Amino acid sequence: MELKIRKNGENYIIDVNGEMDLYNSYKLKELVMKMLEKKVERFIINLENVDYIDSSGIGALIYICSTIKKMSMKLIITNIHGSVKKVIELTKLMGYFPITNSIEEAIQQMDE
Amino acid sequence: MENTYLSELKEIKVDEGSPLFDKTNMFYKEFPSDFRQIRYFTLLIVQTAPLEIKEINLLEQQISEIIKNAVKHGNKCDPERKVRVWYSFSPQHAHLVVQDEGDGFKDLEKWNDFNRKRLELLSRHDFENLQDFVSYRTQLSDDNDGGNALFAALEYWNGGFVFNTKRNAVAMLKKYPQKRQGISVE
Repeated sequence: MELKIRKNGENYIIDVNGEMDLYNSYKLKELVMKMLEKKVERFIINLENVDYIDSSGIGALIYICSTIKKMSMKLIITNIHGSVKKVIELTKLMGYFPITNSIEEAIQQMDE
Repeated sequence: MENTYLSELKEIKVDEGSPLFDKTNMFYKEFPSDFRQIRYFTLLIVQTAPLEIKEINLLEQQISEIIKNAVKHGNKCDPERKVRVWYSFSPQHAHLVVQDEGDGFKDLEKWNDFNRKRLELLSRHDFENLQDFVSYRTQLSDDNDGGNALFAALEYWNGGFVFNTKRNAVAMLKKYPQKRQGISVE
């Protein structure tokens, strides 16, 4: 799994590339925690290039989502597709996670 | 509208007499409990499945969760302890029995209670309180445990998900809808 950060105005977009599995999902968690320490307030997690997620990956997203909510920061997860979408649906978390279909939509929602 | 989450309430059951434990004509493999090789072991099993049920990695992912539970929670990653897997696949089904050498899933009833509460909150769209029920954790859970694998497993294994009496073996069945055969004619 590879993580890249890019900035769009006040928004920090994290592009996740590869598989979010039991061996590497902690990396995303660690990255977001470091960014929170550096006072980043708006996160967009882009899963466009993620084709595989397991319960550790979902667990990392839950942890990130609850931490950001508790700190009253903003998070949107975007471009969920394929088996990633299926696993989130099986876990019935589609309504729990803040999700958009595209980065553009995510940026728009951040500004609302 | 009827409450869709509760009307289809599913539970993990204990039933050693379930036909899902009948291993006749199933393939068999066993592995040491090596955490680093969980996905590799899973691939060795899934590779025998027909293409049409390997749909978007989902079968692999679901099997990997069960093997992970056996390796990590059952056998405590002790390489001397084995994970035994019986499996059979066709375009219409995936059937597995996964057994470890651990003490068994003692918290099964607690897990069912937790899941019931989770489903109640979901049915009420109570996402505020759902926060405490998105991840099942025990004193033995670590940071890498998502605590959500079995929620998805109960949904995915639509033909049943049952433990043996000792609770160190779980049998599961997924039924796939039959695709229509033949060539469509305009």
